[in-house]
Parts: sequence; C-alpha cells; structure tokens
Amino acid sequence: MMDMAHLGVESSAIVAAFLASVVEVVEAFTIVLAVGTLSGWRPAWLGTFAALGVLGLLVIVLGPLLGQVPIHDLQLFVGMLLLLFGMGWLRKAILRSAGIIPLHDEDLIFSQETAELEAETRAKQASKNWIAGLAAFKAVLLEGLEVVFIVIAVGSGHGMLWPAALGAAGACVAVLLIGMMVRKPLSTVPENTLKFCVGVMLSAFGVYWTGEGLGIAWPGADLILLLFAAIFLGTGLVTAQFLRKPVTLATR
Amino acid sequence: MKIIQDVLAELFSMFMTDARMSLSALILVGVVAALLNYAAITPVLAGAILLLGSLVIVVEAAVRDARKRAAAKGK
Repeated sequence: MMDMAHLGVESSAIVAAFLASVVEVVEAFTIVLAVGTLSGWRPAWLGTFAALGVLGLLVIVLGPLLGQVPIHDLQLFVGMLLLLFGMGWLRKAILRSAGIIPLHDEDLIFSQETAELEAETRAKQASKNWIAGLAAFKAVLLEGLEVVFIVIAVGSGHGMLWPAALGAAGACVAVLLIGMMVRKPLSTVPENTLKFCVGVMLSAFGVYWTGEGLGIAWPGADLILLLFAAIFLGTGLVTAQFLRKPVTLATR
Repeated sequence: MKIIQDVLAELFSMFMTDARMSLSALILVGVVAALLNYAAITPVLAGAILLLGSLVIVVEAAVRDARKRAAAKGK
C-alpha cells in the first residue's frame, strides 16, 4: 500500500515536470524558430544550448543544496512556493479556459518575434549573430526557469530530483525534435490543457507539503495527493464553467 | 545587466502574478500554523482548513480577475 502511494507521488513528480517542460519548451521553441529562420541556425542553437547549460547547472547546484535543509523546513518552504506557483498557473488556466484571457497563440508570437528581431538587427547590423544568439538564450533561459523550479521543488522533497529532471529533459528533447521536423510554431499543442494539469498538480503538491511542513500527518499518507489533485481539478473546471456563462450571454 | 533584470522579474512574477492571491495564501498558511500551535486543533482539521482555504483563494482570484476584465471591457 505504501509502495503504491510512493509510486503515485513519484510518477506525479515526473509527470508534473514533463508536462511543465512541454509547455515551456513549446513557448521557447517559437522564439528559437524565429531566430533560426531569420538569422540562421548556428546562433539559434548556440543560444539554446548555452541557456540549457545554465539551467542544468542550476539544477545540479541547487538540488543537492536543498538536500542539506532539514526536511520539515524544506517541505514548508517548498510547499508554500509550490502553492503560490501552482495557484498562479491554475488561476490563469481557468481564465483561459473560460475565454476571459486569450489562449497562447504561437503563430502570432512567432510573427511578432520575427518582426522585433528584424528591426533590432537592422539597427545593429554588425552584431546580427550576437543579437540572434542572445534572443534564443534569453527565451530558453526565462522559459526554463519555471521548469527548473518545478524540477527542484517536486523532486527535492522525496529524493526525486533526477527522475524529475529526466522527465523535464525528455520533454525538452521531444519538443525540440518535433519542432525541427515540422519547422513551424507548435501551435496545435493544447497548451492550456497542459497548464491546467500542471497547475492542479502543483497546487496539490503545495497543500500536501505545506501541511507536512506544519506537522500535519495526512490520512492515507501520499495517496491523499491524488484526492487533492481531483478536488483542485473539479474546482477549477466548475469555476471555468461558471465564468464562461456571463461571457456567452454578453456576446449574444 | 538587462538579462539579469529579466531573470529577476521572471522569478518575481512566478510567485506574485496576483499579489492579493499570493498574500492571501501566505496569510492562510500563517493562520493554519497558529491554529495548530496555539489553538491546539487536530491536524486533520488544520489540513482541511489549508485545502479549503487554498480552493477559496484560487476561485476568488479567478472570479475577481474575470469581473475586473469584464468591467474594463464595459467602459
């Protein structure tokens, strides 16, 4: 029973890291694609791999450091951060699902990014490659920060750092390979559904670890995470449905 | 330097997209900790307050944001 429960937490940690990584890499890939299309693939890949190196270094350095913190303090600290972060993702996913804020449009972002890069490289012709490489570096670094946080947060509490990191890296490689094959923005990926799932999972982890950090012994141990996730998911879906109604009425 | 600013801004926005929601969540955790330590409530009740409080905060934040946007559209 306990093994099953631990398996549930471990797989949830890997799935959360994988799904979050898919969302963020799809967003970063749009900008890398704009850089590659406009300025050639060399600066695009150099910027991308440099940023991935920095992100990997963050996991390698910060992950074991967190392992030195007493477990209850770590659970409380990480739990609170996960709660804030997960609820933020869930709130946005609810609003997008209800049609209140627009969905991420990768095609539109690709056009905007291309136009911005064109304008910038025209203004500074001499350092065209540098600007392109830096744009790819920044995009991957900023989008990847959230993935690094998720990997460290969901991975550190139960010694799951490396499986979570592998889950994230696997998603990264898969998205980049698919992206390179299709050579266009990955606009058909259901980003908001993935964000909804990640928001639900991180909020559930947040409540669970904050509680453990405060000294709450949850009934059912780790298995209660699944109940928390189901409750957050149900609440999120009902809220999105509730918010969708006035918008539908107003547009009639 | 600009890139460091952007990284710091990204880190801040990761946890503070909605300042009121984040502050409410931190207050909730503080209240649950105080109830556990000073009011001697059972851990299961404290856990239930933490879970329900989190749900209320996220729903309130979504509804408040939706109303704010609807009001801005109506102007």
